[in-house]
Amino acid sequence: MRLVLGLALVVLLAPAARAGDAASDRARLDARLASDVARQVAALVEDARAAGLPTDPLIARAFEGASRGADAAGIVNGVRRQSGAQLAARGALGTGTQPDEIVAGASALLAGVPPDSLARLRLARPGGNLVIPLVVLCDLVARGVPADAASVAVVTAARAGASDGALLRMRERIHTGIENGGAPAGTAGDVVRQWLLESPAGKTSKQKGREPDPQRKKAP
Amino acid sequence: MADRPDPERAANPHSSERAANAHSSERASAREEVVIDERVRAAYRLPSPADEPARARLLARLAADPSKRTGWRWWLAADAFRARPIWVAAAFVAVLAGGAWLGSRVTPRTASDAVAIIQSAADPTTAPVTFVLRAPGATRVSVVGDFNNWDASSTPMEHSGSGDLWVLSLRLPRGVHLYSFVLDGAEWRPDPSAPLAADDSFGGHNSVIVVDGAPGL
Repeated sequence: MRLVLGLALVVLLAPAARAGDAASDRARLDARLASDVARQVAALVEDARAAGLPTDPLIARAFEGASRGADAAGIVNGVRRQSGAQLAARGALGTGTQPDEIVAGASALLAGVPPDSLARLRLARPGGNLVIPLVVLCDLVARGVPADAASVAVVTAARAGASDGALLRMRERIHTGIENGGAPAGTAGDVVRQWLLESPAGKTSKQKGREPDPQRKKAP
Repeated sequence: MADRPDPERAANPHSSERAANAHSSERASAREEVVIDERVRAAYRLPSPADEPARARLLARLAADPSKRTGWRWWLAADAFRARPIWVAAAFVAVLAGGAWLGSRVTPRTASDAVAIIQSAADPTTAPVTFVLRAPGATRVSVVGDFNNWDASSTPMEHSGSGDLWVLSLRLPRGVHLYSFVLDGAEWRPDPSAPLAADDSFGGHNSVIVVDGAPGL
């Protein structure tokens, strides 16, 4: 009986809570943006909320545009791109994706990573958090590594059992290699292959042949 | 005075005889009740007859009395402790006062430390983060990000004495955050030591920080 009452309260209060969130968001937007821009951004935010997507990144994107001096159309377009990327990221990563994963996945998609790479990353770490792999993937692409080569490198490492810390160390080594004049794609492949050779988990995975060698994939 | 004939007796010559019999039976009944009453009283004055099984049952009940629990059983007994509400309230106030006194003895001396401790106690969803940037020639550096609504005036960094390092420590909510540095109020620069985010649609890249769960960040 108590459970039923609790559920009924949740159902009854949810619309009120959503209305309160919308009013609060609108007040925040009105405080920083022109009225027309605030109205358009608020509509996008409300759509995202109805779709169950994180809304704070959208508001933050609007504020960032205002701080960078973007015009009204630029701000609205930036928010719309962010919202669309979040929706696509959730679709690629599957149901049950955490909000932080959606945000990181959206950033990777905006960087040019194909959606199927996100899905393969999810398969590589079933049940595990993907925030750091997605952040590393996005960083590699932003630093010039081609999206497909970056995806293969990160997915290979993740399938081989690379921890978040190992992925971040790989990112630093790739970054250093690129700064020292290495070709982005080749450097990423070299670093991951070296990790596979050195890491016990990587050796095991390579012996099983679960993932093609990223360096070999580059060859015709 | 001449006796006048009783009309009732005259009408019923046996009535006086019946009345006499009734009076005597009433007196006998009253005597009988007195005797019974005296016997009952006497019975109550007598000691109760010795009943060993009843005595054993009584001792067993006493032994099982909750108020007789000792040791660890006392702590588990639901009715082991009884107190008036006023004493319970007084004990509660005393505990609060004692806690406040202990807290005053461990209060840090610097205001910044006090703020940090209060924040960590009040909001366990945040974590301390330190931003460091080497910016030669800059006169003002601030951090902007989704944690401060990208407001360049709200979070200035501090110049660390000599050299060109700018440092800022603050607490951020756990999760993924985008941020950037703003030099002299005009130049936006991503953190060279942090991962990059995607193009932000406004002509630049931001940096990414993952608070909690990212040992390398």
